[in-house]
Amino acid sequence: MKQISSLNNVHQNGKFGDFENKNEKDLLKISELKNVLIFQIVQYKNSSSDISNIKIDNLELPSTLKSSSNSDTRILWMGPKNWIVISSKTDLLLKNEKQFDEVNFAITDLSHSRTIIEIQGDLVNEVLKKGCPINIDKFNEGDCTNSIYNGISITIDFISNNPKKVRIFGLRSFGESLHHSITDGSLEFGYQSN
Amino acid sequence: MLNIKCPYCGDRSQKEFAYGGDGTITRPKLNQEISDEEWDNFVYLRKSPRGKHIELWHHIAGCRQWFKVERDTTTHEIFRTFKPEE
Repeated sequence: MKQISSLNNVHQNGKFGDFENKNEKDLLKISELKNVLIFQIVQYKNSSSDISNIKIDNLELPSTLKSSSNSDTRILWMGPKNWIVISSKTDLLLKNEKQFDEVNFAITDLSHSRTIIEIQGDLVNEVLKKGCPINIDKFNEGDCTNSIYNGISITIDFISNNPKKVRIFGLRSFGESLHHSITDGSLEFGYQSN
Repeated sequence: MLNIKCPYCGDRSQKEFAYGGDGTITRPKLNQEISDEEWDNFVYLRKSPRGKHIELWHHIAGCRQWFKVERDTTTHEIFRTFKPEE
């Protein structure tokens, strides 16, 4: 089935906010990540199945508030016995389904149900601080966490420290509001949208 | 605004949590005969103590886990947070 982004008519390319007389490399870069496979792995509470043998795209399931990643796939910790996988390999779920038996795991395809906004730039933390109550500065590359942004439930994936880059996941139905909140918070610094 | 330490995620703002009521209430055991009064007490009857109180909280915008908080209802000081099974 064809995926249509929730930001299809919202996210526009160009420069916005206080971008004039600024070097392009100093601007925040905001983009949308779409057409990726997203699925959730939940291990049932009573399950004692060993997860150390599970590998998805050669990645282990990460520990608390951590992510594991390679160039195509990222796995984020969502809570105890709960992970989310984001991959540009759209057949990854089919290839890995057999690792998860129905007695111990529930796998749900969420590819259509998330909006992902990627922000890059030195001032990323300042944008996040405007709407998110967590202590952003203590999070580094390879961390991830759930929180809220202006009241909207989000997941933040801290992708790299240099350049500073994060991905913000929100529910699809809140995509437009989340995009508005993030871009509104970025206007002060000037941003390039692509 | 409270700062609550989730046993799974660490210190977070109260904005991420939902209050879940008295944490000392236990549901009557399944398949056990109980009177209407006992059931009524379980569903409705709550104490409203002034001072230390064990409460349930839900990290609804975080790891989505329920846990217990020992809090002073007068000063809002939080003494400890712990997993329900602890």
